[in-house]
Amino acid sequence: MLVLMRKQPFFIKRPRMTAKELLINYSGISSWDEMGKAESIRAPYQQLLDAISSLSVEELRQKDIQAAELFMNQGITFTVYSDDSGIERIFPFDILPRIITGTEWHHIESGIKQRLKALNLFLRDIYNGQQIVKENIIPAWLIASCPHYVREVHGIQVPFDIYVHISGIDIIRGEEGKFYVLEDNLRTPSGVSYMLENREVTKRLFSDLLSGNNVRMINNYPLLLHSILLSLSPRPVNNPTVVLLTPGIYNSAYYEHSFLARQMGIQLVEGRDLLVNNHKVYMKTTRGLEQVDVIYRRIDDEFVDPLCFNPDSVLGVPGLMGAYRKGTVAVVNAVGNGVADDKAIYAYVPEMIRYYLNEEPILSNVPTYQMSDAEEREHVFANIDKMVLKKTNQSGGYGMLMGNSSTEEEIRDFETEVRNNPRDFIAQPIINLSTVPCFINGSFQARHVDLRPYALCGPSGIEVVPGGLTRVALREGSLVVNSSQGGGSKDTWVVDV
Amino acid sequence: MLSRIADSMFWLNRYMERSEEMLRILHTSYILSLDKNPTGVHNWRPVLQIFTGITPDDIAVKEKNSVESLQFLLLNNKNINSLRVILNKARENARGMQDHITKEVWEQVNHMYHLINNPKTEKQLKSNDTLSAIEHLLKNCLLYAGITDSTMPRGMSWSFMSLGKYIERCLVTIELIDKHYHTIEYDMELTKDILYWRSLLFSLSGYEFHLKNYRSTDYNYNVAHQIIFNPLFPHSILYSLIRIQKYLADVVKENNPSEKYSLLREFGRLHSNVEFADFEWIKRSGLLGYLQELRMELIHFSKALSHSFFSYS
Repeated sequence: MLVLMRKQPFFIKRPRMTAKELLINYSGISSWDEMGKAESIRAPYQQLLDAISSLSVEELRQKDIQAAELFMNQGITFTVYSDDSGIERIFPFDILPRIITGTEWHHIESGIKQRLKALNLFLRDIYNGQQIVKENIIPAWLIASCPHYVREVHGIQVPFDIYVHISGIDIIRGEEGKFYVLEDNLRTPSGVSYMLENREVTKRLFSDLLSGNNVRMINNYPLLLHSILLSLSPRPVNNPTVVLLTPGIYNSAYYEHSFLARQMGIQLVEGRDLLVNNHKVYMKTTRGLEQVDVIYRRIDDEFVDPLCFNPDSVLGVPGLMGAYRKGTVAVVNAVGNGVADDKAIYAYVPEMIRYYLNEEPILSNVPTYQMSDAEEREHVFANIDKMVLKKTNQSGGYGMLMGNSSTEEEIRDFETEVRNNPRDFIAQPIINLSTVPCFINGSFQARHVDLRPYALCGPSGIEVVPGGLTRVALREGSLVVNSSQGGGSKDTWVVDV
Repeated sequence: MLSRIADSMFWLNRYMERSEEMLRILHTSYILSLDKNPTGVHNWRPVLQIFTGITPDDIAVKEKNSVESLQFLLLNNKNINSLRVILNKARENARGMQDHITKEVWEQVNHMYHLINNPKTEKQLKSNDTLSAIEHLLKNCLLYAGITDSTMPRGMSWSFMSLGKYIERCLVTIELIDKHYHTIEYDMELTKDILYWRSLLFSLSGYEFHLKNYRSTDYNYNVAHQIIFNPLFPHSILYSLIRIQKYLADVVKENNPSEKYSLLREFGRLHSNVEFADFEWIKRSGLLGYLQELRMELIHFSKALSHSFFSYS
């Protein structure tokens, strides 16, 4: 009998690659790799790799797909605006966690606590006696020219003298693995919901790994935040009304706002839900007006009160600042914090720590050149290929120029802009961010990362959630990690070895 | 509950109920338009009058063209009452209160939004797959009703959602019955045969109900009785009013608004005007006058309701 056999010329049998073999092909790029190269892998990563080494590439791919589906189905998306229409996208997630050891974390944590103590004292000082200016530690003109210095809140007493309740301090790791503070986010830092969701997704992907590795817990963040918000109530009542004020469904972080409100069990309100009467803030309910005690606002300073700031804003509440001044309502974070996370003021934070706390800074700043200083400016332009220029009042990866990857024309245009308005710019040497392995296109590849730990300051002290959000520059070689510029994120483990 | 949330609950369900009613009516009309009826080509005028705000001249251009009428009613972005526009609005309401509705409800609203904006649906409606596209959309509306019923907690949100649903249903029923009696000039005596009434009954999902419950051949009276007075028929005016009465009592009790008594009085008048009416009573002002009065009072009541509970801007 004749059996017809069809040849399958296109079928190439692929060897069943496992994670272990992928690792052999892994080579970091020319910067500090947090895992270490193939021959000298650091202990906590070794433990992770041992656990996944038996998984095939196909299984890892499946986990990758599974993760994306988990984010999509739950609607964990942010909105990207282009051509007038918003597109909902998921924030890319890499399945391999980034690992920080307990010792490293101790260093970061104490550094952040020290920094926030100093920044809080600075804010109290700058909106009251201004000793730091009188003693010439920070030049007065630098404060006066800061667009986020808010004259209107001068002299307002805030509960417990806390200005920065919620902060995200961006940490990077340079050559030789040294940690630096890249910037302070003291206004309305976002991303904490991604930190929490990333962990939930990892729990589903690698459920056995978390407990086996002694990974510190992060999911008490909403509870901590809620208890701080409750403690700030100016009215001595049992059950103060706490609300989260969102700009609304068109804001790119709306998912996070509704996530946090749900996790804390508080009302998610918009500006139009609130009104001020007789210097008290009320929310409009079906039962009539109900007094609001604490507002966790996710609206920028200039939009919170059209009577006080931007008169065109419909996001805020007319009269809110009046109530705030009277102390009938607590606003979180305090209004006017922008003066402390201005990129030009940033350079003075080590001085603040010495001045207010009489301590040496635990975490270093990235060296920063003030473009308003003629000598420093010329130095920067002479070495432009090693520098990054940043606008002092912008974030999200906008308004910056990387000297090593820009065309001559771009540099020339930026230079003219800088010379016209030197106060608005700073320069820093380009720091080669550390890399970690990512699972991309079926192989392990090195990508640059930063870290944003979230800290909460309440009457009983400062708590930093172990880990934070690791942001990844997904494009090969790129140093820009912002989500608006093609960045992704990773779950971040603090492990005790 | 925040006034804005109550408002969104109310309107989410008004839009979803309107979608369901509209789709059922279009489903019936479309099937009817396939048969050549004694008066010639099927006319879309009544449907266009109920669901769009366009001028009689514009209606005249479209009324004989099934494809164009359906496009306009379902997909046209310029028609502020097209299915696409109201589903978009429903989703916006749902999004702004995602933390107050269940995950299942949100997912269904989200799904329908993606369904109506899917180019495939548009293609189906243009080709000869129209019927299955309408059926699929209608099924999803019914699914939404089922999902809300089995997952939403019975609290204030439920009461406001239900108020929206039954006020909308009552209004559509009034419009629809008005259109059908208008065609026979509100003449109750000149009895039309059941074939004439079939489209109205199918549009309200009440044909089988009619066959089972009404034996005589006084169709004009019987149909009017079923649609206005029968408390067991879920699309009758009286049934909707009974439901509104319950949920109104619930929200008034829960919130105790200052306009409580005027609100209850206003609704009481409207309700008794149906509950204690009969054909003798209707004859005094004529069916046309009676329906117009009901419509006006219902709209007035709905405005008073939003004034009491939703006025936040």
